[in-house]
Amino acid sequence: MKQASLSIEGLRSVVEALPPDNLTPAREAALAHLGEHGIPTLRDEDWKYTDLSPVVDISNRWLTAGGGRQSPDTLLARIDEITGSIDANWLVVANGVVLDPTFPADGGNGVQVAKFSDAPAPLVFERPLADFNAALLQDGLRVRISGTVGKPVGILLIDQSDGDASVSQAWAEIDVDANSAVELIEYHVSQGNADHYANSVLTLNVGANADVRHVRIQNRSTRHVQTGRTSVSLGRDSRLDMASYDLGGGLIRNDIDVDLSQPGADITFNGLYLAGEGQHIDNHTRVDHRVGPATSAQEYRGILNGNCRCVWNGKAIVHEGADGTDARQANHNLLLSEKAEIDAKPELEIYADDVKCAHGTTVGQLDERSLFYLRTRGLDKRHARQVLTHAFAADLVSRAPVDAARSTVSAIVDARLADLIEAEFAEELVS
Amino acid sequence: MATESENLESLVNRRYEHGFVTDIATESLPPGLDEDVIRAISARKNEPEFMLEWRLQAYRQWLEMREPDWAHVHYPKIDYNEISYFSAPKSDEDRPKSLDEVDPKLLETYDKLGIPLHERARLAGVAVDAVFDSVSVATTFKEKLADVGVIFCSFSEAVQEHPALVRKYLGTVVPRRDNFFAALNAAVFSDGSFVYIPKGVRCPMELSTYFRINAANTGQFERTLIIADEGSHVSYLEGCTAPMRDENQLHAAVVELVALKDAEIKYSTVQNWYPGDENGVGGIYNFVTKRGDCRGANSKISWTQVETGSAITWKYPSCLLRGENSVGEFYSVAVANNMQQADTGTKMIHIGRNTSSTIVSKGISAGRAENAYRGLVRVMPQAHGARNHTQCDSLLIGKQCGAHTFPYMEIKNPTARVEHEATTSKISADQLFYCRQRGISEEDAVNMIVNGFCKEVFKELPMEFAVEAQALLNVSLEGAVG
Repeated sequence: MKQASLSIEGLRSVVEALPPDNLTPAREAALAHLGEHGIPTLRDEDWKYTDLSPVVDISNRWLTAGGGRQSPDTLLARIDEITGSIDANWLVVANGVVLDPTFPADGGNGVQVAKFSDAPAPLVFERPLADFNAALLQDGLRVRISGTVGKPVGILLIDQSDGDASVSQAWAEIDVDANSAVELIEYHVSQGNADHYANSVLTLNVGANADVRHVRIQNRSTRHVQTGRTSVSLGRDSRLDMASYDLGGGLIRNDIDVDLSQPGADITFNGLYLAGEGQHIDNHTRVDHRVGPATSAQEYRGILNGNCRCVWNGKAIVHEGADGTDARQANHNLLLSEKAEIDAKPELEIYADDVKCAHGTTVGQLDERSLFYLRTRGLDKRHARQVLTHAFAADLVSRAPVDAARSTVSAIVDARLADLIEAEFAEELVS
Repeated sequence: MATESENLESLVNRRYEHGFVTDIATESLPPGLDEDVIRAISARKNEPEFMLEWRLQAYRQWLEMREPDWAHVHYPKIDYNEISYFSAPKSDEDRPKSLDEVDPKLLETYDKLGIPLHERARLAGVAVDAVFDSVSVATTFKEKLADVGVIFCSFSEAVQEHPALVRKYLGTVVPRRDNFFAALNAAVFSDGSFVYIPKGVRCPMELSTYFRINAANTGQFERTLIIADEGSHVSYLEGCTAPMRDENQLHAAVVELVALKDAEIKYSTVQNWYPGDENGVGGIYNFVTKRGDCRGANSKISWTQVETGSAITWKYPSCLLRGENSVGEFYSVAVANNMQQADTGTKMIHIGRNTSSTIVSKGISAGRAENAYRGLVRVMPQAHGARNHTQCDSLLIGKQCGAHTFPYMEIKNPTARVEHEATTSKISADQLFYCRQRGISEEDAVNMIVNGFCKEVFKELPMEFAVEAQALLNVSLEGAVG
């Protein structure tokens, strides 16, 4: 199957039609780079399980139609609803438009916010999808955290797609100063009946001895496509506790790159993905241990039901001289349907000898004996399955590092799991 | 001729150079590859028409293929037109006349491995028949095998004597265009082994290339085909623990195993080709395609390998688990020292119901070597009740080596149970200290710890092989510590 290629000509005419601003040089550089390398295909090792045809298809349709942008106005009610449900200082990117902050963001309370239109960040792309993002970028967010910030900082990335196919970009750079502490929430959501492709890039630089907790929730419409890149670098003796929840979306691809080039850094990042009919969720993580001692630990769990596919590819690279590295990877999957597929690939590349590295991966179904036990206690089949499935997910929900976001995560996970199990029983009734 | 002052490197390189000498008047073909070369190879082997056609088709497919670059190994580009694709065994005049002419360093290694004197001559390439008559031994074995109906001969012989069997099974496990090196092998393969075990026969002895008379100099493109008919059993040993003299740098072998209903094949390999010197000069490129097909219900294929040689190893012995309840096993010890690079592992493709597979891989890296495990476990949608357990451990000796793990798991059936575990560690100072204070030398202590690390795999090897493998491991890691 040959993947159609992205119309670079169409892209160029849309990019050239954008009003000139201080992002123009970055857009041109990104366009040139993308023109050279193109969108990855299944033949690229990093993309062998994820077909980006929908990205190319939606983008080409959107580019042909002129590459317009929808006003964020139709989203205001939804934005209020979401920002009202989680107590945080919210920054909002709606349909790719960066809205003005609704809280004082001049650095007085430790949070300083600027837009790329005022102060462009040094964009680092060189990855095809980040190139694609940068080529169309009109604005982005720069957030700087200094000191201990009491209230979580939330970034809401929300899109609406009606009528025609659409594409949106979001780019955020977060710098956390040395000795600071902050809780971050990243929330992706979308609505609308037309095809949409959202492309996001988040850069998180954690200063020396800083302490950051980060929750990422992705609950997009199952019609929509999203690719996201998160680049993290950790300063000396800093800590980052991250959890990522992929609960919606049609085709989702997340790339997390972690750079550990200062000693004493410690990162934990976990992920939960729930996939139902028609969904494709791909998590690629990469940790570069450049010096030691440093610790990285990741645990991803997935529950798959219906005709769906999930991918987890965890890569830990221990560079020469990074002695004292402790790198752990775990991936556990529950397959509930005959039509579900999981592709797991835990990779280790080790060039130092004083290291502790381990990975474990399991794939299985609900344990018959546990189900039997619950049935003997009077639970019906559906309830018993619910209990065990919930327990599998609950472990990661309870570890959401930002208190303010946990109840939201828990509510969405519960609703999603109920749907998945419902679908399983509906399937059984039909067959 | 070798003088005593020449070291192992120059010895092997010299022979390697000789391997490319082209004297058209004698029995070698000039370097280069085209359809005429293939016709010439086929003609010299007096092959039937179907073999020639098969080779030509493979060659045409090979021309359209690209050399794979995904493995975690680096080597200069191979010019396939620089290679001579057919060279008859060296004549006795070119060989060392006796062990006195052989590099003393090589002899020292033989000594450490405890290789009997008469075998040393054969391994070092001394004209064998003058020293040791292997014919009589082999003939005895051949008679014993013929009694039970086992066919064990060279591939060329099988093409002449048993064309129907060859035609039925050749290329059914590793198709001609399976991969770049397999296609090249299919086009130009020189010789190899052929084994057929009839229905219900348990092969009375372990088969080994060692006992096949014309095993010497099967060349760089070896092809092995083993068929175990219903209810039969065979254990096959490939290779040898002693460093083998060889003239060719590129080795692209293909091994095909077919296990029919209730049959079992146990395939053990000890690979110790010349790894190059400590600066990575010389050494064999070992690009091998090995695959077993558990075609019938309750069949079993077990791969055991001890890989210590070659400059570059690119090898993934695999199992297609097609029959119901079929079993695949892979036990591997891969050692890479100095500048060696190994990218090795296995593929377990679960196709039938209730199939199970076990993977135990032990990788040891020392010096500036790179050692990668690459494995695939695929459970197809129809493979209900599939079960896999993978254990993959790496041991690092030294600060400049690399140990890598690339396991792929593709699971398309919810009843599958797949587990994968991997660890990486080094020989800890505590372990060494404990041994040292018990009066064990550092070198012995390292050997002991490494042997312990590999025990799970060694116990799968046939007894004599296991003992030799341990000795080999010690020699391979010599100088890695301290």
